[in-house]
Amino acid sequence: MAQINMLGVSKRFGDIEVISDTTLEIKDGEFVVFVGPSGCGKSTLLRLLAGLDEITSGEITLNNQRIDHLAPAQRGLAMVFQSYALYPHMTVYQNMSYALKVAKEQKSVIDEKVKKTASILQLSEYLDRKPKELSGGQRQRVAIGRAIVREPKVFLFDEPLSNLDAKLRVQMRIELTKLHKKLKTTMIYVTHDQVEAMTMADKIVVINNGEVEQVGAPLELYRSPANQFVAGFIGSPAMNFFSGTIKDVSANGIHFDLNNSGASIFLKCSDANVSIGESIQFGVRPEHFILAKKTDQIITGEVYAVERLGGETYIYLSSQTDDDIIVHFSGDREIKVGEKIDVGFSIKDCHLFNSKGWAIR
Amino acid sequence: MRAPNIIKIENLLIQIFLASAAIVMLYPIFMMVLSAFKTTPEIFISPFSMPKKFNIENFQVIWEKTNVPRYFLNSIIVTASSIALLLITGTMAAYAIARYKFRGALMVSLFFLSGLMLPLRLAIIPLFIQLKYLGLIDSLLGLIFIYTAMSLPATVFILTGFLRSLPKELEDSARMDGASELRIMLDIMVPLISPALVIAGIYSAVPIWNDFFFPLIFIQSAEWKTLAQGFTAFFGEYSINYGVLYAGLSLASLPMIFIFIAQSRRFIAGMTAGALK
Amino acid sequence: MERSNYQRAKSFRKLKKQLWLLFLLLPPALILITFIFLPMASALWYSVYDWNGLIRGEFVGLENFRKVLLDPERNWFFFNALKNNVLVFVSLMIIQNGTALVIALFLAREPKGARFYQVVFFIPVILSTVIIGFQWKMFLNPVFGLINKILNAIGLHDWALPWLGLPETALPTMILVNAWAWVGFPAIVFLAAIHRIPRDLIEAARLDGGSEWQIAKDIIWPLMAPAVTIIVVLTFIGSFNWFELPYIMAGLEGSPAYSTDMLGLLFYRTAFGSISAGGTEFGVGSALAAIIFIVIFVFSIIATKILVAREVELN
Repeated sequence: MAQINMLGVSKRFGDIEVISDTTLEIKDGEFVVFVGPSGCGKSTLLRLLAGLDEITSGEITLNNQRIDHLAPAQRGLAMVFQSYALYPHMTVYQNMSYALKVAKEQKSVIDEKVKKTASILQLSEYLDRKPKELSGGQRQRVAIGRAIVREPKVFLFDEPLSNLDAKLRVQMRIELTKLHKKLKTTMIYVTHDQVEAMTMADKIVVINNGEVEQVGAPLELYRSPANQFVAGFIGSPAMNFFSGTIKDVSANGIHFDLNNSGASIFLKCSDANVSIGESIQFGVRPEHFILAKKTDQIITGEVYAVERLGGETYIYLSSQTDDDIIVHFSGDREIKVGEKIDVGFSIKDCHLFNSKGWAIR
Repeated sequence: MRAPNIIKIENLLIQIFLASAAIVMLYPIFMMVLSAFKTTPEIFISPFSMPKKFNIENFQVIWEKTNVPRYFLNSIIVTASSIALLLITGTMAAYAIARYKFRGALMVSLFFLSGLMLPLRLAIIPLFIQLKYLGLIDSLLGLIFIYTAMSLPATVFILTGFLRSLPKELEDSARMDGASELRIMLDIMVPLISPALVIAGIYSAVPIWNDFFFPLIFIQSAEWKTLAQGFTAFFGEYSINYGVLYAGLSLASLPMIFIFIAQSRRFIAGMTAGALK
Repeated sequence: MERSNYQRAKSFRKLKKQLWLLFLLLPPALILITFIFLPMASALWYSVYDWNGLIRGEFVGLENFRKVLLDPERNWFFFNALKNNVLVFVSLMIIQNGTALVIALFLAREPKGARFYQVVFFIPVILSTVIIGFQWKMFLNPVFGLINKILNAIGLHDWALPWLGLPETALPTMILVNAWAWVGFPAIVFLAAIHRIPRDLIEAARLDGGSEWQIAKDIIWPLMAPAVTIIVVLTFIGSFNWFELPYIMAGLEGSPAYSTDMLGLLFYRTAFGSISAGGTEFGVGSALAAIIFIVIFVFSIIATKILVAREVELN
């Protein structure tokens, strides 16, 4: 059982508050991903969990017992670092057995555990090698193995895949997910790559500037982002945003104009907390645009760039609204630069954000 | 791009320069060692040629007739102990400065660094009085403490530079593995700076082995004299027996030279790869 | 207020960390204080007293300092020695460190045998000053010495001078000997600094057609700044601490005619020479020591500030 709770945790470095009043629950066996842009505080949050940095205020509990006063090793957590942090002067075997040696386990027990973990990760033939003799992917597996050997209650991963090449990254993503299913241990994973988050997580925590923007399952974040930041962060290429102004508010819904386009859109919603004249942001994902035929709304644009990948196509339009539009079509489309095309979208694929960036449902 | 020919000529000129410089460097030493094997008259008559036969008479004189072997031993004891004490305490101080943030860390590092600028020789009299008070006059232990103190600033300087360059993640990982701070220092950090230890060791060992000033002042009884000090007296005694003189010079120099050559790879690797500052 | 287990654990951890730091820092600090700082402080302290042999007399304020700097009988010696030390510093900077720079630049191109050369140049550094002093003294012997024998052999009879015997040549000769002995050290330090410069920078410059001289001047030299700082400061400290070499090659009095007198030698004569004579020079000697120390200290600080500022600017 490994359930973690963070209650009102904050962290200051001198005058700067790096993490503000964060409350999170991580259930036993969950694969949770902390995701956000560089410098948002996700790694710091992880380090606070690990005990490598002290929290300024708040509480961290593991299975309802407070752990934020304990030394890292006493918390029952293991961490895999971004640069693997393997001990360069020790062999793979020594690297993996170090923690157990420190804990004064018996040699035979250590041997058994290390060998077992090595075989799970296919490292058995490398046990006598030093880190500098291994490839990046192998080193990473050693780093993971080192964590597994300790049989921790929770695994912490700090951007473990960022130093690998693209192909290896995809491979390791799957390996890690398989590992999670096999070990069934709680895993907390930090990354700036939203693709990793979307593909691996049971639950995603989006962090920006030390604050939690939204917590939820991947598809939930995709379909119902709580604010503009999350909407723009999840999904690649990012959501297209258009500026607009509220024209009319009624019990049924909102009428708003897209600036400079003359397009007027009506959205059904109840309880929208907006006023007439308020500026809003209107969002549509690139993959939700359709070549206009029979759709609800239309925007015209001129193509200024086309990327044809064979299996999908990306079109870049400059439109009458001030904003550029990115459109994603699956399959190949023969569209040329300079063409004027009409794109449309379905209302159910739209997102509206008020002047403060919060989603209007 | 410059023409390959110019590069070739440049390289040739460089080789000539370096080779000439090397000869200038080595020739005097070579001469010194060669002359040690000659008899004194031979040195005067044919100073440049190889000795007629490799005469070890001079060395025998030194070994048997003088106190040199004893001095040699004393020097070894003093130098080795000083280096050991120096590296241990130096590593401790450097580790504290390099890997921990604490209030006054800057002051502490300046404290150690300022020792570099203090010419201890100028304080020789108070030092004498102090050692007398501690009962360390005429003892190798007194020398050991003095040499350790003198070499600490530079050693701490060198080791701090290297220790700083180790990634913090290694420490973090070891902490997660449950290692105590002492274990982290001994198991992980210190082994990774072994070139630095060699550099600091050699850098300090040389002036300690060669020093004759402090033994001159502090060591009176013959049984505790060190090599460098012994030679100073020795030169007076044998001032015209050039053969024996050169043999003495050679004996005094060779240990250091051999140790250096043996460790030269680590030494150079450390200096070129490590963090000098 | 009740201290929960939780808070107790936190303060305990903090205490452990502080004890650990203390453990690490105390032994080295103690050694430094006992054997360096205390004696140095005493030495400076002694300078404001009058001394009768080794017995301390009355407080005389800056009287001893006045004697060293202003007393016409003495201050000639002081300024003469000071002049010599400065001469040594400047000459070594140019000859010794200049050559070291050239050597380092050459070795940085990794010519054949670079490793060998590195070791060879460093060997004289390892030798004792005593040995070097004696050896070169023998080589410089006007009649039997190697140098003059070579000069005569190649026909330069006029140059076969008594190098250590003439006031005009004694100091320059010793400077050259020092340079011979020590050039390896700055050479390796500079070489290390050059190796740290990213290859791409130098290669890009080469591709752009820069000559070796230009590359050395515009790229290598500025990026070597930290190493230069270290060497300048160390050379200064070394020059002002010169003692063994002149002592062995020229004697305590800086013969001939005080042309090789150094502040270190002067100090030794003043402080110790007087003990046997029973004069009251010890206070003066201490004042001299204090002055020397201040000179070294002030210069080191100023030089370090200037050079480090230059380092930051260049990087």
